[in-house]
Amino acid sequence: MNILELTRRGRVRVLVIGNHSGIIQSMLDFDFLSGKDIPSVLGIVAGNRKAEKYFFGTKEILLPCYKNIQIASEVIGGKVDWMLNLQSGRRAFESTVSFFDFFPKSLGVHIFAENIPESHATELIKRFGKKYFIVGPSGVGLLIPNALKLGAIGGVDAVQIKSGALTSAGNIAVGSTSGGMTNELIHAVARAGKRISFAIAIGGDRFPVVSLTQIFALAEADPQTKGFVYFGELGGVDEYEIIELIKAKKFTKPLVAYIAGIIDEAFDEHVQFGHAKALVQTMDESARAKREALRAVGVIAPDTFPQFLDALQKLPGGTYTEDVMDIQPLQGRQKSILSTRKVLDIDEGRVFVKGKKLLKGKENAFVEATLVALLGKPVRSPITRAFTEAVFEMLIDHGGNVSGALNTMITARAGKDLVSSLASGLLTVGPRFGGAINEAAILWISGVVSQKTGLEFVAEKAKAGELILGIGHKKYRVGLADPRVKALAEFATLLKVHPHYDFARSVEKATTSKNGKLILNIDGAIAALLLDILSECEGMSERELQELADAEFFNAFFVIPRSVGFIAHFMEQKKNDEGLFRLPDELLFVREETPKKNKKK
Amino acid sequence: MSRVKITEYRAKKLILGDSYMGVSIHNGKIALPKSGPFDGFDKLTTSRLRASRFVAKVDQGIKKRFKQGLVAVDVPSTAISKSVSLWRKKGFSHFLVEPYVPHEESEEQYLSLERVRTGIRILHASAGGIDIEAHPELVKTYLINSALPYTIVPGIPEKFLKHLVEVFEKNFFSFLEINPLVVRGDEVYILDAAVLVDSAGIFFVKNGWSEDDIVEGKARHIAEEKVQALQKTTPASLKLTILHPDGGLFFLLSGGGGSIVIADEAELNGVGRSIGNYGEYSGGPTREETHLYAREVIQLLLNSPAKKKALVIAGGIANFTDIKSTFRGIVDALSEYAGTLRRKGVKVFVRRGGPHEKEGLLYMEEYLKKEKLFGSVCGSEAVITSAVDDAIEFIKK
Repeated sequence: MNILELTRRGRVRVLVIGNHSGIIQSMLDFDFLSGKDIPSVLGIVAGNRKAEKYFFGTKEILLPCYKNIQIASEVIGGKVDWMLNLQSGRRAFESTVSFFDFFPKSLGVHIFAENIPESHATELIKRFGKKYFIVGPSGVGLLIPNALKLGAIGGVDAVQIKSGALTSAGNIAVGSTSGGMTNELIHAVARAGKRISFAIAIGGDRFPVVSLTQIFALAEADPQTKGFVYFGELGGVDEYEIIELIKAKKFTKPLVAYIAGIIDEAFDEHVQFGHAKALVQTMDESARAKREALRAVGVIAPDTFPQFLDALQKLPGGTYTEDVMDIQPLQGRQKSILSTRKVLDIDEGRVFVKGKKLLKGKENAFVEATLVALLGKPVRSPITRAFTEAVFEMLIDHGGNVSGALNTMITARAGKDLVSSLASGLLTVGPRFGGAINEAAILWISGVVSQKTGLEFVAEKAKAGELILGIGHKKYRVGLADPRVKALAEFATLLKVHPHYDFARSVEKATTSKNGKLILNIDGAIAALLLDILSECEGMSERELQELADAEFFNAFFVIPRSVGFIAHFMEQKKNDEGLFRLPDELLFVREETPKKNKKK
Repeated sequence: MSRVKITEYRAKKLILGDSYMGVSIHNGKIALPKSGPFDGFDKLTTSRLRASRFVAKVDQGIKKRFKQGLVAVDVPSTAISKSVSLWRKKGFSHFLVEPYVPHEESEEQYLSLERVRTGIRILHASAGGIDIEAHPELVKTYLINSALPYTIVPGIPEKFLKHLVEVFEKNFFSFLEINPLVVRGDEVYILDAAVLVDSAGIFFVKNGWSEDDIVEGKARHIAEEKVQALQKTTPASLKLTILHPDGGLFFLLSGGGGSIVIADEAELNGVGRSIGNYGEYSGGPTREETHLYAREVIQLLLNSPAKKKALVIAGGIANFTDIKSTFRGIVDALSEYAGTLRRKGVKVFVRRGGPHEKEGLLYMEEYLKKEKLFGSVCGSEAVITSAVDDAIEFIKK
């Protein structure tokens, strides 16, 4: 079975080495539009990152990155069919050799670089030419409709995947020495109402590993291929090898060819054109000679490109299954700028107290020791322990979007250590983020001490223009209770009296009458209940509570568990190290300076 | 990526090592006076070359030097300065002086090595000399690969051939020609040598040739020079050759293959004489690089005395070169000269496809219409030659 059939019949697995995000994304788009469930690209061998973000359809995925091919083979195992080698000419030879060392069962490689030394190319031919299918050096790769897009071939945006009908398999093989013309030919075949069976950009280098002869042999052997479209240039003698194949009846399918380079006749001396090979050294290598020689063996080789396009109609047609390709969702996708995992399920309904009884099995020695350390005396009540335990559990994390988690992640991405990243996250804790528990405790103490009603308290604060911390939520509102607050509120049922909690609720009643979003939030609820628990279960006076609040004790209930969450986000960054973070330009508004008036001297 | 010539001096130095007695002279290295005779040759030749008869030649990769009178053979040191100053007047700057090796013409052999797909191909003729191209029937072909002994070429000492192949491999040679070669027993004399190296080998060659040894293809025009300099600073491909400075058809083409197709179309339509330039940009140049490149072409167009002039911005359907950003670069360049272009009645014709094609074409069309430079604009739905066809019709009118 040849490489086309092997690739068409099952899942295709590609390892990419080097970086060119546009090409990699186009391969994933091709896979998605071909209706594959899993992307062909298994991972990328690239530098120091551990993962890179791409889209599969509209969904974001993290492609794993490996430091070298050996590590990739250890993680992936031997199951890779193709490698796309995007490294520079300086490194591509070595990495290709290494790939075959570690993936001996693979089918082949496309080498993208243009500046591979000739002797490296001939060495690749000698070592691997018979066993593997190596497309390049140079060119844009190999395309097998609906199965494999190995390289930039066919274009890098979804519009081109559609306009070239790249996901619809047909019966015309496309071969070209020029990468750009490969795409032109693919589109020309599509415009002629036909579809391709495979397409290869041989590359304009002098010694492509897979030779033109091999490609024609492949097309001959491929039962799906019924005709061939070829683009060649002046320079080189490859076309004479095709002629030999045709004469020997080793290539028998209809062939339409365009050999470019008549323009060379307009120059006084031969000119080196865009491709390494495109320099005429003897007369035989001229475009005109090659064109005429092809015609002599029955190849349709027109003089002008428009005639060549017309001639495509003479190739066999076929019936093709046309996929309705909706590329709309793939356009204008906005990549996320950071990635992490779900550290804690925030929405999970938790129960700590049921039927006015503590649920057992929730206490642990760490919480007890923490409370003793903070309060400086033994803890009397299991309620205090259970409440602390509940708060710690719930406050471990609140997603990666919040200031502290972001700071931690960005610091980690800058290559900093755990303590620096954690510290950077913790430094955001204050009046606007995470510091509200203590502020709320101060408010509830003052409310209880002053014996004001909730309504009076709210009016007073509103008059002074002050915010009431502990009140208000972005998402939850009256009628849509915060499940965390609901779970904690049950602790009130364990207490004889709960003046701080009652006061907080009376404040809530006043605020929600104005706006349904101004409910008692998790910070406010923790502060109120903790005050009541410490008062009733631990026998603390109002003065002692005030002292605790002055020392910001209540914020410790946020800082302790959340440190765990920050560390979790830190570890996630190190695991999928995506490199230094930089805010994309479109997400940063840069205000224009208002021009200063020049002072006249 | 391409084969480039190095100086004969460097080629011989690489092959012969310290035993090579030649001296390279060029502006800067061995100081030459700005004009007039240079009598330092006398000292130089007698002390360093330890000979009394010499060969002096221009060492700038020029073919058929002998016929052009750029070689002085079997001359005394006094004659060298005369020849060199004559050549300098003709604009040459690199020279080579060697001791003369007296020999009979019948001793001359031809030997060349070329890298081919399957190894190194050797061409050898036991009758060498300058007329080798006239007698291809005398040339025998051998293929060297690791399995073959170095004794396969009769008349060439095994040790020498082995050494040549080693030098060839180590220095990423693509082509080496020695003509004539004189062999006397184990002694070999390389009278004339030409070497093409593989420019992509430059990163791998240690203690061999360097950038300085490459004979620059003579940039005949300042614009070509500027593009050559720009090319050295980018991984993208930027090429420019001036064909007819007085032409009416100027090309901003993209893609190695597509650019030839479009240029072919002009030649095939009989307006080859009107083509001002050939060139191409590809491999994803940035907006800024495209701007600098386009500027050179636009200046060429403006400098042409042709009455009707058209700019053709065309190429195939790009795989990864971004149309939007490269077109922005072209518009940046057009904007510098928009007024002059309009006054001279220049029209711009566009055909291009690729990533962000729609946005790029729309941007270009709006700009050209605004500046009254619009000829035609089409995308990948049109034939690749449509812009050049429109332009030809325009200049023919």
